[in-house]
Amino acid sequence: MLEGLVYPESLSLSYADMSVPERLKGMQQHQQIEVLSQSSNDSPELLQILQFHGSNNDELLQSTFSHFQMLESGFGTKYNMDFGPSHEAMDGCISRTSSCQIDPADTMGVMLKNSVESRAISLKNKRKSEVKTREEEKTDKKIKVEAETESNINNKEASSDTSKETSKGDSEIQKLDYIHVRARRGQATDRHSLAERARREKISKKMKYLQDLVPGCNTITGKAGVLDEIINYVQSLKRQVEFLSMKLAVLNPELELAVEDLSVNQFQAYFTNFPVVIASKPSVMVDLPLFPLDQQGSLDLSVINPNQTSIDAVKFINLKTSLIILSSCYLSGK
Amino acid sequence: MERQMINKKKRVFSFEPTKLPPSEVFTRKYISHLVPALKKLNMGKSSPQINQLTVKREVDKALALSAQEFAWSRFLLQKLSSSNNPTTTTSSSSIQTQILERSNDEDGEIEEKLKELQKLLPGGEEMNVEEILTEIGNYIKCLELQTSALKSIVQDAT
Repeated sequence: MLEGLVYPESLSLSYADMSVPERLKGMQQHQQIEVLSQSSNDSPELLQILQFHGSNNDELLQSTFSHFQMLESGFGTKYNMDFGPSHEAMDGCISRTSSCQIDPADTMGVMLKNSVESRAISLKNKRKSEVKTREEEKTDKKIKVEAETESNINNKEASSDTSKETSKGDSEIQKLDYIHVRARRGQATDRHSLAERARREKISKKMKYLQDLVPGCNTITGKAGVLDEIINYVQSLKRQVEFLSMKLAVLNPELELAVEDLSVNQFQAYFTNFPVVIASKPSVMVDLPLFPLDQQGSLDLSVINPNQTSIDAVKFINLKTSLIILSSCYLSGK
Repeated sequence: MERQMINKKKRVFSFEPTKLPPSEVFTRKYISHLVPALKKLNMGKSSPQINQLTVKREVDKALALSAQEFAWSRFLLQKLSSSNNPTTTTSSSSIQTQILERSNDEDGEIEEKLKELQKLLPGGEEMNVEEILTEIGNYIKCLELQTSALKSIVQDAT
């Protein structure tokens, strides 16, 4: 029904008559129509779907249209700027909503959400919902309803979620800055559930990262098991630290540590030990959003280079000699 | 000269702090905090048990000081300073943030585990689920680095 809204009259869909032009006035018509005609050319299937279903849902359409007219102004401002760029952006435009499977309430929710929330609400609320149509389910294709919002959009999550081809045969979807959330058929697309879904996705992302971090977690499926492993691992690390500090306390009087002696090279002696420890764990690549620390002299633990050739021998060398050996190692071109 | 050659061969060990890998940054800081503290302890004479405790404290302190970008380090420092002055009542904001999960059986388990995790993490009591997961990640990393730093120190001494 929604497609009915936006498809130009030239397509001669019966229900498209009144509100389409009105609606189109509210937005940048030209680009839309251009792209729509383009996309409609590319998607005869969709057209067929429309024509097939359109006639059945006149009343539904009418009610939706009235709603949309209310929202028109809101949309106008939004879509004016959003439809600026390439027509690939139209890929996500509201126009190409899917067929009649859309519950008007759902799309309403989506629309409302976008018009009202885009500025007020933070990144995670910006969603792009996907609706599966009957036909699509059969043919296993998806059409996306994108509600574009304004500038402050989470780029990173979008790039990770930016997905694949639609049934329209559009080529690469230009990576736009928003978070994709799929509202599958039967799932609510209202504000709260979308937000919840976003939250859940964030959490599962973090769990995946932790899985990489903790050795031996890769094989475990399910949150509970991974959490178990994490707990055990943290406990064992803590115990190790305790044990080592006890040892240190015992040895303390014998330590020949003099800060002045610790030159930078000797620091490196310590450092080269660590890659051994770290390299034994699987290399960790983190999505930046999880650990947003800036690089400048701060700890961005996402970047641990497991490829450092460690100098195992250094571990066992006395401090005083480490300097000599280190420098010779480096000079020899390791 | 050596330094330059080293710089060319191994980008990792450069002098510019911005290019240091974060593990190095951390361990540098850690050692620079811990070693002087240990030296200081060396000077004073105390019974072995007290020594142990203080060493432990110093170890934790060094950890917290070297990782101040993270939330848990703040809480750790708080804890340490409060344990230093046992008279001061810890402003225990015992607002244990509830871990809201669905109350299915399976999720109840997960909830319990998250609570455990909360206890393990310094300051975990006051974080929600997402924060905990984030903080746990870098806490683990720092713990790992800390263990290896301590290992190398101990091995050097033996």
